[in-house]
Amino acid sequence: MSADLTAQLEQLHAAAFGWALSCCGWDRTAAEDVLQASYLKLLDGRARFEGRSSFRTFVLGVVARTAREARRRSALRRWLPLASLVLGREAVDGRPDPATALARADETARLVRALGRLSARQRQVLHLVFYEDLTIAEAAIVAGVSLGTARTHYERGKSALKRLLEKEGA
Amino acid sequence: MIERDDPHLKQAFEALRREAAAGTPPFRATVAAARTRRAAAPGGRRALRLAAAVILVVVGVVVVSIRRHRDGVRLEIDLATVRWQAPTDFLLTLPGDDLLRSVPQLGPRSLDRRTL
Repeated sequence: MSADLTAQLEQLHAAAFGWALSCCGWDRTAAEDVLQASYLKLLDGRARFEGRSSFRTFVLGVVARTAREARRRSALRRWLPLASLVLGREAVDGRPDPATALARADETARLVRALGRLSARQRQVLHLVFYEDLTIAEAAIVAGVSLGTARTHYERGKSALKRLLEKEGA
Repeated sequence: MIERDDPHLKQAFEALRREAAAGTPPFRATVAAARTRRAAAPGGRRALRLAAAVILVVVGVVVVSIRRHRDGVRLEIDLATVRWQAPTDFLLTLPGDDLLRSVPQLGPRSLDRRTL
């Protein structure tokens, strides 16, 4: 891996970890696994930046794809118990890490709970816009949806999230 | 459309980001763990190849056994060895058709001049 790529990844590390947490339902262990697998793709050159988007968008996209693959493997393991012999140990189970859950502040815990009740696409778009400071167009690229779809998810997700937070706060 | 246009949500996400940032594993450790995974990967690939080979062998055995079973059934009901006769075949037999099917013998014995 080139020093330049390493430096760029290091700059994005915190953002990539936050995104991995969101993709893995705030399960810290699963997020670390997904992030390592994503870095592995970048190290091996299986995921190559071709300048079609910003480097930040590209890296977040790699993390999102890796998390999807991990979820699929996890689902396969649930359905086929023998698959774990071939696929290796469990990486993502989608459940929050108990230590992380305990340490989480009340307000952020409410936000995470409310986000968990949104659809996956709404959760993704809101996280990318509010947490990662991406534009809706960039969020659409990372989530792999059209700009119009991302806008719809953003608006509907924002309204639903506000409603859920108000309900939880009451 | 104004993005991040909700100050309350923005504030809540910023708190979440601060909390997650505090618990972010060190970059070097993550890269080192990724490299360890890469070193361990060939074992996984070997297991995958082994599983693929086992599946191929099982599929081969199943295909061969099915074919053998089918061949056995075919021998039992081989139509080429069966001679079928319709119940109305007797209507096709003419009186004296053995004469029509046999070649008449024309020779010195049959051509007796005395009978002519």
